[in-house]
Amino acid sequence: MRFVVFLIVYLYACCLCSQTYKKYDVVLLPMYGQFELQPDLYYKSGNDSLMIETLKFYISGIKLIDKGKVVWIEPYSFHLVDMSELKTLCLHLTIPSSVFYDQLKFNLGIDSVTNVAGAMGGDLDPTKGMYWTWQSGYINFKLEGKSNVCKTRNNEFQLHLGGYKDPFYNLKTLTLNVSYAEKTNIILDIEQVLKTIDLSKQNHIMSPGPESILLSEKVVKSVYTQKVEK
Amino acid sequence: MAFKSLKDIAFETPANWPTPSYDFSRNPLSPSKIELGRELFYDPVLSKNNSISCASCHSQFTAFTHVDHSLSHGIDDRIGTRNSPALMNLAWHSSYMWDGSVNHLDMQALAPISHPDEMGEKIEAVVGKLQKSKPYRLLFFKAFGDSTATGERTLKALSQFMLTLVSSNSKYDSVMRKQAQFTLQEKNGYTLFQKNCGSCHKEPLFTNLQFENNGLDIDTTLNDFGRMNVTKDRADSLKFKVPTLRNIEFSYPYMHDGRFKKLSQVLKHYTSGIHHSTTLAKPLLNQIVLSSNDKVDLTAFLLTLTDKDFLFNPKYSFPKK
Repeated sequence: MRFVVFLIVYLYACCLCSQTYKKYDVVLLPMYGQFELQPDLYYKSGNDSLMIETLKFYISGIKLIDKGKVVWIEPYSFHLVDMSELKTLCLHLTIPSSVFYDQLKFNLGIDSVTNVAGAMGGDLDPTKGMYWTWQSGYINFKLEGKSNVCKTRNNEFQLHLGGYKDPFYNLKTLTLNVSYAEKTNIILDIEQVLKTIDLSKQNHIMSPGPESILLSEKVVKSVYTQKVEK
Repeated sequence: MAFKSLKDIAFETPANWPTPSYDFSRNPLSPSKIELGRELFYDPVLSKNNSISCASCHSQFTAFTHVDHSLSHGIDDRIGTRNSPALMNLAWHSSYMWDGSVNHLDMQALAPISHPDEMGEKIEAVVGKLQKSKPYRLLFFKAFGDSTATGERTLKALSQFMLTLVSSNSKYDSVMRKQAQFTLQEKNGYTLFQKNCGSCHKEPLFTNLQFENNGLDIDTTLNDFGRMNVTKDRADSLKFKVPTLRNIEFSYPYMHDGRFKKLSQVLKHYTSGIHHSTTLAKPLLNQIVLSSNDKVDLTAFLLTLTDKDFLFNPKYSFPKK
């Protein structure tokens, strides 16, 4: 009898272990209009030109959805995406083979609970330059560069978007329709973000507030999926 | 991610005190991490030109604050805009700085490290310096089982040392534990304290941990509106975190901008110097009346909050090699 129980437990454990997994890559493609965005390269903007030195942002809370139902949640889901570090542009997800999906859901930024949880490591380590020091909180999205229209020192603009507390809570959630494949390319078009604001007037956002929320909404509208050949 | 080990120790909450707000499960105390934190606290390596340590503005004998300076100064003798707060019983706080701009003890050190008028250094650079140092690599190894310095580990170790700075052994505490008695003067002072001061400076921490406008007229050379700078809400104008009164004998000068050098000036402010504005703390709406005898008694009580076990505890002092 004892042997039979052992056998059942053993077989059950084998079943659990034999769960197979598959890879799903989410690739982020920063663009400037139709061009691939490269650091320190000048792009035409109206009658002027501008360049992007820094583009860093957090993707967190990744979920897969099938017919409106959440079918997979990535554990400890925090990714710092940095335009100048190519390997950060591809998020390698490992999901059970049985999971199928038609939508990808994720947050742009860091949720409020994580924001008040103290020091953390990995992509959330404060040495990553994405944490405000004089006033606590993660920077969700950082865009820095130069434009001739900015009458600032060295024509610089710095847009640091964040905010973890009401009324300036600034976590944005995106749900994108995706086709079931090994890879999804997600485009973030910086030209679309910047053409909605007047850089000569709005070139310095460094703390949470209404400006930060408005611009984050514009960032969300500049994100879309690119069709991938199967 | 918490670094747990068999050497973890429990945080001791003094009898009849509230439960601490700090989540120790995310950063379990251990002697080797506390020791690393103590080394860091006393080491000027945290500043850009290796000249200023945490202890420069938070020295033990003055209840971990900066005496004789109304506004604390940092590298290259630069002057800040506020008086450094006294550090003690930090595990019970859930916001830090005079305006509550910092939301967690772990993240607190980032502010003075990076401020150009304080330590003027980047945390990335601090971690880089620690990583190059043999003694620190050993300390990190002892604390975390791995010699790699990271921002998370550096900050958590600093928190551990600061969490151990508990002041709960003053005469007042002995009286509460029925191990000592107040003199008649102190007893009268305690009654006056409870009536006039105790709602904001709530026992046993001697702070309600809230932000209040205590009727200080704005200093137009600083234009510091306190909590409003963080929340951008007019209802928070001129509100500052209520400081603890523990060890007040040694933590002068007083107020966020250090405008009062003596306790007598503080009492004078509360009895006849209140500046009325819309956000004034409710308990200050009616004038506090204290006779000169009352003031003497109240001061006698305040001196019972001095905790020599805390001020001279070798566990908190400069780590001798």
